[in-house]
Amino acid sequence: MIRLLIVDDHPAMRAGLTAVLRAEPGIIPLATASSELDLEPTLHRTKPDVVLLDYHLPGADGLKLCRRLKREVPAPAVLLYSAYADSSMVVPAILAGADGLLNKSAPAPELYDALRAVARGDRVLPPVPRELMEAAGQAVDSSDLPILAMVVDGTPISEVAEALRIPVRDVSRRLDGMIERLRVEIAAV
Amino acid sequence: MTGRRRELSTLRTLRQHRWFALLSMTRVVGALLAVALLLVHRVTHDDPLLAVITALWTPISLLALRQTEDAEWAPAVWALDALAALGLVLAGGDWRSPFYVFALTTLILPATALPWRTAVAWGLGFSGLYGVVALLTQKLPVDTLTNTIRLETLATHLFVPVVVTTTLAYSSVLLERLRAARGQSERLALQSERQRIAWELHDSAKQRVHAAHLMVSALDPRGFDHQGHDLLGGALSELRAATADMETSVAELRTPLDGRPVDELLRERAAELTLSGLARIDVLGRLPLLPPLVAAHAYRIAAEALTNAVRHAACTKITVTLGDAPEGARLEIADDGVGMPPGDRPSGHGLRSMHGRAETIGAQLHIGPGPGGRGTSVALALPHPGGTP
Repeated sequence: MIRLLIVDDHPAMRAGLTAVLRAEPGIIPLATASSELDLEPTLHRTKPDVVLLDYHLPGADGLKLCRRLKREVPAPAVLLYSAYADSSMVVPAILAGADGLLNKSAPAPELYDALRAVARGDRVLPPVPRELMEAAGQAVDSSDLPILAMVVDGTPISEVAEALRIPVRDVSRRLDGMIERLRVEIAAV
Repeated sequence: MTGRRRELSTLRTLRQHRWFALLSMTRVVGALLAVALLLVHRVTHDDPLLAVITALWTPISLLALRQTEDAEWAPAVWALDALAALGLVLAGGDWRSPFYVFALTTLILPATALPWRTAVAWGLGFSGLYGVVALLTQKLPVDTLTNTIRLETLATHLFVPVVVTTTLAYSSVLLERLRAARGQSERLALQSERQRIAWELHDSAKQRVHAAHLMVSALDPRGFDHQGHDLLGGALSELRAATADMETSVAELRTPLDGRPVDELLRERAAELTLSGLARIDVLGRLPLLPPLVAAHAYRIAAEALTNAVRHAACTKITVTLGDAPEGARLEIADDGVGMPPGDRPSGHGLRSMHGRAETIGAQLHIGPGPGGRGTSVALALPHPGGTP
């Protein structure tokens, strides 16, 4: 049984997702939120297993919210849901701790599968092409490269901190910096 | 309707040639004034001859100036025009000449067409020449410097050309700036309008289509008979095509082709991708000019194919061949890379949208192994501009 919270700023998307997912056995859409402000109380009220998170929300992008969700204890699994067909958002999504990234044009069965996978603790992320990784490596500070490599490889932040012998808080801060640099500008997509 | 159009076109001509219009009006007035003065007052012994020369020279000079208005050597014509006018002044025998206003009109084109510094220098040069003419007429008695009225008249004659030139040059610069500012603000308004439409398309319409696609795709195909199954498939493919269309429109609104030819854009894109150092891209041949929608989709298909080749084909060389044939334009992108995975390839989003775009413009898209079974070839056959030949 997957307890799900849907975060999307568009009413048609929220209604569509709720209708479709309610009919799918094993998935319970508990509530929807339309913005960052809306998310906080809903999250604490519902305590979902999985959050289906729109990549672009007014005022705050999905990456920032994803980072915040992953700091919750216990942290819900996060499936980023994006309307952009562009692979350049894969690396920032991984850095933000997303468990999955799915395009909004994917048919419903793909969405069910992705939700079940992230609920199991699997990652549903497209492979990171070599040139994307190279581009990301060039965009971030060279001292951040080990963190980038480990996180993209799927290493949890606590293990990264342990391996580098630095506090978890430092790793988090540097991840935030990297996400800021790699952020996909919506207007440029 | 026709009358209105004619009136508008006259106005447009006036606006485009406003300085020439000013020249024509003032020169005709100047010539009439000169002829009247020549005929009413006795100025020289050859007044009627001078009047006839003025009456003939005015249309001839205007015609010559009009013909050479845009020529590179127009300043030479303006200089000759000024010299001719000064010649008339000289022939009048006095620097307080009936041809003074006529002579001033020779300043209009240089003052408005030359850069303003040159224009002012031209005005000063004209005043200098007028001073020389005044000396040549020998109507500058020695008391000119002490006789207030005489001195004032001479100073006015020498100063007015500079004032006229400076004023005209200044107006011309202002008009030019005004036009540039208006063009700029129109461009900005258009751009922000495009951004707004793009945003609405992306933020609202596309989200609704995504929602509709999601809901339809959630229907269990097993619950339908054969016909219902077909309808469901059709609806899904239409919704996918709608998304692809909207993506094209959004991309087009954000980075419009701006009516630029597809081959030029493709050469630019190829040069950009070549810079990444992953593969060499050659663009051969030319495409005919395509209708805007066809051009936009054709360009995006080709750009997507290029990006795919560079990203996924592990190739060293990509050749883009453009061609124009009577049955329609052709566009082929071939690489020497690893080729597509064998078997039924699950069509990725990129390939799906390429097919969607091709369908939208009624083009044939073929994606398969390249020549000799090596690499991948993407061939797009565009429909004939006039429909099926």
